[in-house]
Amino acid sequence: MTQSAALISPPDLSQIPIETLSDMYRRMVTIRKFEETVYDVYSRGIMPGLAHLYTGMEAVAVGVCINLRPTDNITSTHRGHGHLLAKGGEPKRMFAELLGKAAGYNHGKGGSMHIVDLSLGILGANGIVAGGMGIAAGAALSAKVRREDRVSVAFFGDGALNEGLFYETANMASLWQLPVVYVMENNTYGEYTSTARSTAGSAPARAEAMGIPAICVDGNDVQAVYGAARWAIAEARAGNGPRFVECQTYRWRGHHMGDQGDTYGYRTQAEIEEWMKKDPIPRFGQRLIDGGRTDTATLAAIDAEVQQDITDAVEFAKQAPYPDSSEVYKHVYA
Amino acid sequence: MSTPERIGTIREAINEALHEEMQRDPAIILMGEDVGLAGGVFKITNGLLTAFGPERVYDTPIAEAGIVGLAVGAAMTGLRPIVEIMFSDFTTLASDQIVNQAAKLRYMTAGQTTVPMVVRTAMGAGRRAAAQHSQSLQAWYCHIPGLKVVMPSTPADAKGLLKSAIRDDNPVIFMEDKMMYNQKGTIPSGDYTLPLGKARVHREGRHAVVVSTSSMLYPALEAADLLAKDGIEIMVIDPRTLSPLDTDTLIQAAKETGHALIVDEGYQSFGVTAEIAARIQEGAFDYLDEPVRRLGALDVPVPFAPSLEDLTIPNAAQIVELVKEMLA
Amino acid sequence: MAHEIVMPQLSLSMDKGQISRWLKQTGDRINAGDILLEVESDKATVEVEAVESGILQIVLGPTDGEISVGAVIAYVRAENEAAVVQPAIVQPAATTSIITEPVPIIPPARDNGQQSRRLPSSPAARRKAAELKIDWQQATGTGRAGRIRERDVIRFAQTSTQTVTATAAPTISIQLTPVARRIADDFGLDDASLANLIPGKAKIERSDVEEAIRQIVRERQTALAPVAALAPIGPATPVAPRREAMGAVRKRIADRMMLSEQTYAPVTLTTEVDATELVRLREVVKADSHTTLAPSYNVLLTKIVAKALCDYPDLNTSLEGNEIVYWPTVNIGVAVDTERGLVVPVVRDVASKSMSDLAREMDELLKRAAQGKATPDELTGGTFTITNLGVYDIDVFTPIINPPECAVLGVGRLRKTMVVVDDQPAMRTMLTLSLTFDHRLVDGAPAARFLQRIKQLCEQPYLWLS
Repeated sequence: MTQSAALISPPDLSQIPIETLSDMYRRMVTIRKFEETVYDVYSRGIMPGLAHLYTGMEAVAVGVCINLRPTDNITSTHRGHGHLLAKGGEPKRMFAELLGKAAGYNHGKGGSMHIVDLSLGILGANGIVAGGMGIAAGAALSAKVRREDRVSVAFFGDGALNEGLFYETANMASLWQLPVVYVMENNTYGEYTSTARSTAGSAPARAEAMGIPAICVDGNDVQAVYGAARWAIAEARAGNGPRFVECQTYRWRGHHMGDQGDTYGYRTQAEIEEWMKKDPIPRFGQRLIDGGRTDTATLAAIDAEVQQDITDAVEFAKQAPYPDSSEVYKHVYA
Repeated sequence: MSTPERIGTIREAINEALHEEMQRDPAIILMGEDVGLAGGVFKITNGLLTAFGPERVYDTPIAEAGIVGLAVGAAMTGLRPIVEIMFSDFTTLASDQIVNQAAKLRYMTAGQTTVPMVVRTAMGAGRRAAAQHSQSLQAWYCHIPGLKVVMPSTPADAKGLLKSAIRDDNPVIFMEDKMMYNQKGTIPSGDYTLPLGKARVHREGRHAVVVSTSSMLYPALEAADLLAKDGIEIMVIDPRTLSPLDTDTLIQAAKETGHALIVDEGYQSFGVTAEIAARIQEGAFDYLDEPVRRLGALDVPVPFAPSLEDLTIPNAAQIVELVKEMLA
Repeated sequence: MAHEIVMPQLSLSMDKGQISRWLKQTGDRINAGDILLEVESDKATVEVEAVESGILQIVLGPTDGEISVGAVIAYVRAENEAAVVQPAIVQPAATTSIITEPVPIIPPARDNGQQSRRLPSSPAARRKAAELKIDWQQATGTGRAGRIRERDVIRFAQTSTQTVTATAAPTISIQLTPVARRIADDFGLDDASLANLIPGKAKIERSDVEEAIRQIVRERQTALAPVAALAPIGPATPVAPRREAMGAVRKRIADRMMLSEQTYAPVTLTTEVDATELVRLREVVKADSHTTLAPSYNVLLTKIVAKALCDYPDLNTSLEGNEIVYWPTVNIGVAVDTERGLVVPVVRDVASKSMSDLAREMDELLKRAAQGKATPDELTGGTFTITNLGVYDIDVFTPIINPPECAVLGVGRLRKTMVVVDDQPAMRTMLTLSLTFDHRLVDGAPAARFLQRIKQLCEQPYLWLS
């Protein structure tokens, strides 16, 4: 895939409040530890269903969501834990949902791919590739009609870029200048097929063809993502219509938990290791330390706290009861 | 904007309902191809763009999935969208949005979200519009838990049921027969609503019951008159809402008459007639003197040539013949 | 000549036994007094001794299940005798006591080919039948493939001669297969009797009912022949009754009589006719030189009845389903006794024929019929029947209607009697007429009026001109 327009360079660290930076770091660590715990729990056979891990892509979710208010909406993908946690989702309730427990966000009825929390503006991960596109644009439409100060962010992958729904909804979003931001997480592979083999032309160009200004950033640089997202969200919020941000990143783990052996032969270990060197978390941490905004101890403390949170969350989820049988009939109709 | 009670067409009834509802609730928006400026290809949405403006009435690009997708998102976040899909055949393009998103979001989120939207669409053969513009796919949507399916057959039903569908917090597929837009009847004035899930008995009769959906009401009533000449009195019932179905009323009618015929314009196999027949058989078995019979469209794509198309659609003569066969 | 060993009667109540085991084998040399086998009766297991000596040839054993008392179970033959060739079916020996004789079962009169197959019926029919407490399997189905439907059950309930039990009498509920039910009904066994005769059986089958009927017949026969019932146990030698297969004619008569009895609602009216004038009329005609053939009383009555039927056409009818058929002509059958049984040759369109024509026709027809030479056409198509038993000194009887007719007139003997005429005693020739009519078609009063008209026409022949 060819590079497109501007690769925006990261904003100046000194211009970002330390609370925000701390928050960003903490959120990324939360995602990392959450996902690695899922890996562990799933591998032991305790977790039913499917799990699609976000490990390695934390910078994208965090860089974007740190710019969002609780009232802003996001839609996510099947690989949604990162976005949900970045938007403020509670590890406890998320883990409970992953285990199918009644204490989960969806009372155990949705699972990993369908978690919703309206209080956080989370309109759901989605099991259908590009499934969130319509919802995000629709939420933007309602914000416009109701004159609410709300932006919608649609997270999606390089695979979803080729779904028709993207073009249908983005076209309307652009036509009607809806406040929706398209964040494409290009992690090089749509399942087991690389973008080189699946996507003609360039992603940002497709957006621009529909009149949507687009940029491309290093998805493993949380500052870069932060900067790009800040621009896009501000523009959308100002009523200037949708924006498109491509983030180039990489997932360390397989497409889903079932292919840990990487038996599909679509990528090399060398490639994985190459990307692991660009781990966004220590990269950011180091930059903070180098910039004098924090120190090792503080970061280590954050690590430890988060670790404890996650451990507690897993324990909570494990102990939580399954939903009552009567739940099966509930919520079919309003 | 209520008008005095009058005789009007189904088209007028729907238009009136849309006007009244959009007036009543600013959260209602209308989306669809050519619904605004052109007033809709079947002229159902005439005057609404003028009345409510472009922020409430959207002429969309030709993008069924996108339109319904946007509607889902809008419905989740405070609006009550009404989407018009020009021909029900095109709902296939929006299948994922209807079946995987709209129908399931409330359940998957354990009630955190509701999707209060209506998909209005025109079904039915007879227009010589050929196979891709003439289908009656209600069975598909009845099959999906989480959706409601409504099919009005008279102007009064159209107005009353559409209002209720709009006010219902669930995704409702509202299927209008494209051949019946000019059908006349009484349109009650004012805020006239009809409950979803309730059938209407159009005609009483003791020998057999004919359950007809949507426009099949008219051949059923015609058949009733023909049969009456031979001393056969049939009951005619229109379920009006297919999902959820007013099963009790239908079972009761079958018990009273011992003979039941279901008529629906969907393809006969694996359709609405089979489901209703099964429910009647389950609930009224000991009172049946004959197996429950079904009459649907022929199991062929709808042909273009008028003579051929007419062969595929259930008609009064076929209803008469089937009823007589049951009672012979 | 080989000696037969039969299933012994080990107790008064035993009619079947089960061979427990043979203590000897085929080909063994046995001596009188040897224990040959063990038999289980309804009460106990008993050893059976040989009565004769010789070579044993076993016919039936433990695997043959229950064997009727008297059935041959083995032979004892002399050494030089050939083995006994078994008949294809082992019949119970004729030399045994009456109790073991199979009694011929009257075949069911109903002509329904589906004897052991489940009849198709609709759920509504079965529910209605349960409601009306009748057996739906007796209804005639008018649905597709003969399916019995609710209306068929309702019609059956209305037209059936079976009484619908709705009463205070406790209903005995037993279950019968359809065939069993039919056989029981034909023999006139109600549920109470069946329950008594076949106690403790959950579902009564054909063989049970047949056995019960056999038992009843036996009891009846036993009641008539007390000596036979006290016959000693063991080989006995009563005289076997003569048997003859039912001839075709007899069988047909039997079937038709049963059909008539089962489907009609017959009522018999009788009246005494002063036939003095009729007798005088006949004498006068007979004496006239111009008369070639004087009409017999049968001829006169045929003509009289035809005239009466023209006056009362409701009795010249038949019932088909729910429709009454009014026959356009009066065709009168006259019962004739022949060697082979009763035949009824038919005189067509009696009303249009003159008395002399009728006399000629009937003389020839009845003669031929008596010889068994009537053609099949001549034996059908009747709308009314006259049967005359006067020659046998019969006065009153209850003739059976000849289906599908509405009525039949029985004619008694002409007899001179003292009667009262105008308050004075007088000697008159009297004749009793017995009219049996179908009350489904005609009520008592109209039938009585018809009979009265016949009487009138007999007593006042001048009225033949009216």
